[in-house]
Amino acid sequence: MDALVGPARPRDREGPLSGFLALRAIEKRWSPEIAVGPVTLDIARGEILALLGPSGSGKTTMLRLLAGFETADAGRIAVANEDVTNVPPARRRFGMVFQHYALFPHLDVGENVAFGLHASRNGERAAVEQKVSQALALVDLAGFERRKVHELSGGQQQRVAVARALAPEPRVLLLDEPLSNLDPALRERTRRELRQVIKRIGITTVFVTHEQEEAFDLGDRIAVLNGGRLEQVGPSNDLYERPVNLFVATFVGRANVFRGAAARALGHTRDGQVLVVRPERLQFGSAGLAGVVREVRYTGPAAFFLVESEDGQRFEVLAEPHAARVDERVHVGATRVIVLPDSRGGGGGISSP
Amino acid sequence: MTRMRATTLAAIAVTLLLAWLVLYPIIVVAADAANGTAWHDFFTRPGEWAALWASIWISLASVVLAAAIGIPLAFLFEWFDFPGRKTLGGLVALPVVLPPLVGVIAFLFLYGESGFIARAIQALFKLDEAPWQLQGPFAILLVHAYSMYVYFYLFTRAGLARLDVTMLEAAQALGADRRRTLWRVVVPLVRPSLAGAAMLTFMTALGSFSAPYIFGGGFRVMTTQIVATKLNGDLSLAMVETVVLALVAVIALLILRRTEGNDILVALGKGIAPRPRPIRRAGVRRLTTIAGWGLAVLLLLPHLTLAVVSLVPFGSWTTEILPPVINFDNYRRLFSEAERLRPLLNSLWMAGASTAAAVVLALIAGWLVVRRRVWLRRAIEGLLVLPWALPGTVFAIALATAFSVHAPWALRFVLVGTAVILPLAYLVRGLPLTGRGLLAAYRQLDPSLEEAAASLGAGRWRTLTRVTLPQLRPGLAAGASLAFVAALGDLVASIVLYTYETRPISIEILSSLRLTETGVAAAFGVVLMIVSAVVLGVGARR
Repeated sequence: MDALVGPARPRDREGPLSGFLALRAIEKRWSPEIAVGPVTLDIARGEILALLGPSGSGKTTMLRLLAGFETADAGRIAVANEDVTNVPPARRRFGMVFQHYALFPHLDVGENVAFGLHASRNGERAAVEQKVSQALALVDLAGFERRKVHELSGGQQQRVAVARALAPEPRVLLLDEPLSNLDPALRERTRRELRQVIKRIGITTVFVTHEQEEAFDLGDRIAVLNGGRLEQVGPSNDLYERPVNLFVATFVGRANVFRGAAARALGHTRDGQVLVVRPERLQFGSAGLAGVVREVRYTGPAAFFLVESEDGQRFEVLAEPHAARVDERVHVGATRVIVLPDSRGGGGGISSP
Repeated sequence: MTRMRATTLAAIAVTLLLAWLVLYPIIVVAADAANGTAWHDFFTRPGEWAALWASIWISLASVVLAAAIGIPLAFLFEWFDFPGRKTLGGLVALPVVLPPLVGVIAFLFLYGESGFIARAIQALFKLDEAPWQLQGPFAILLVHAYSMYVYFYLFTRAGLARLDVTMLEAAQALGADRRRTLWRVVVPLVRPSLAGAAMLTFMTALGSFSAPYIFGGGFRVMTTQIVATKLNGDLSLAMVETVVLALVAVIALLILRRTEGNDILVALGKGIAPRPRPIRRAGVRRLTTIAGWGLAVLLLLPHLTLAVVSLVPFGSWTTEILPPVINFDNYRRLFSEAERLRPLLNSLWMAGASTAAAVVLALIAGWLVVRRRVWLRRAIEGLLVLPWALPGTVFAIALATAFSVHAPWALRFVLVGTAVILPLAYLVRGLPLTGRGLLAAYRQLDPSLEEAAASLGAGRWRTLTRVTLPQLRPGLAAGASLAFVAALGDLVASIVLYTYETRPISIEILSSLRLTETGVAAAFGVVLMIVSAVVLGVGARR
């Protein structure tokens, strides 16, 4: 096996980010135009990695490649230095939580959780039942064994799906938009509980999401995908403060993009560069970029002020609600700017996830 | 990679097997017919044209009659509430349980010239002979209307049940009165259902054999004409007739398909169906209830007649209005005489074997078409449903032609006269039933369920038996029970392909009738009816 993968690089076995789960130039080509990858990623043991991207970015394909439901056209996947690229899903020992949970409707909760625990003899059956109740207790559903799946609420179904995936003690846990079927209030609470469960077991986890907030909250690191390519990997503050390109800057968090004279008024840019400033890094002052307030969107603790500069660029300023009024002439300064190469033409603008 | 190749091989194997079963015999017949000289006979004999025309107009009239009965009934039971609505609503669908031949002999015993009604009238008015003869097109249409209005009834009710009540409310809010709402909103929305029912009725009537065979007399339609020509030994003419009937069926299908319209229209409204409105006026309410129960009695009369006749021993009933002796003699003979038990067992094993084969083929085909999405999927799906589009007689003649020659290099073997040919014919007829049920169930099955099983370490066999099959069970059971019942009551293929050793129930019923052993024929009919009802009941269970 080692000969195929090549020897693991020494760096992988040492530092905290050694690749327990390693993707090497993994690639899936649907057609000459549509392809995902090549993606190379190292995920440490016990780490939670979020795959973040807009729809069609290839994040679900990546997850399905990891699970083995799709076969890669190139590249390798290894877990604990074992090449699993061609191992079928049934023998990969990866747990998966599906977007719509995929609970078996003809089995009850206990039978669902026990599905991955093969039991043939009676002695083993007792062990299986113990494992089932442990798994259910882990997700706070102790005593739910004999419930019917369709009797459960959405949040309970989600937790059964997690318990079922964890019961066979997989090496890696994969989650496909695990919270997208829950209502917003429940989502936040479930997110916290999910993180607690994962961290308590210490299982290496990869999950897919299209929501930046979810990725920030749940992931130790975030991999941003776009158009099948890996744009940037890093902890949330890295992505927010030090995006490597315009896509990451505008997809992760709200961002104002300035070009031309407006950019030069706020910071130092050369030709072919743009200035990205987060709304909260802009403030009203006596000098700086001049403009007119066009709209105010009140959010409670603060307000978004939509400002139009003299050369027609529109941008958002997050400030204290009474900082300005509509139609007021203002000057705006920046406390922190991000300079990036310009990857698309046209004027400036606002972008939010 | 190896998995891909195995899938492709499986797809090719299944496609070839289906093509050999379903398409090849028809091609053989068409080729033989094209080479023969019988076309001249066909075009010059007036009897042929008459039979062709009869087939077409009988089928069209059947559609009109079935629609005229079925559609109003559907509206009545779906939109209005009156005492006994639920029970009656189920009873109304009952004729569909009756295998065609059984329905026909029940009508014979009830309305035939020596049936209960005729005898009663003869006695009442002291007539010298029976007041009528149940024969010719009128008799055929009567039977067709009785058994086929159910298609319109069930399809229309299903269409109405899918209607979104908010659409009716929207129409009312826009100022439309009831009549306008009905014609501008309801009818267009249930149109796909009506077109589906019309298509099914037309195809069933076109392929109908039992009714024209028993009641036709000198009046021939294409199906009976073909069998008669075949029995006369004029094989090449029978082939030409078969090809013509197949062409009519295909053309009719193409025309009717165009009228089906877009089913998406109805699927759009995902709301609640309108609740049945109680009939308020006491008089109307009472009248509806009485009419409803009267109808139920009328619908149940054939079944009752069959049950009564089956209890009448041979030769005990001559001129009386009601049978003088009633006992279980016929049933005792059915189960104790080896020669009578034989067809029963024949039918059971042949229907069972053909259904099992149809289920296995449908399962493999469903997996290839829906899950693996092989490039041959359209071909596989088309071959699966093709037997539905062509009358049973066409397949009977095609199989009889293709498999009476020993030519292994052309994949033709002598199967006619062996025990294999009838199960094979039943299998062909059962494929669309199991195939459609299974494909629909497979398409509704969330693929992530199977993926979940795999990610939990389940192998292919465990996934199939523990996850896939339990989920497919309703669709599978529904298709399999329909296929089994169709095979059990089949006459069309049996009459062309049976041998004395392999004779099924339907053939035994006919020969009992010919020997005027009506009691035995009726007893066979009752057994057939009960087995069919039980199997369909089990198959429909969720």
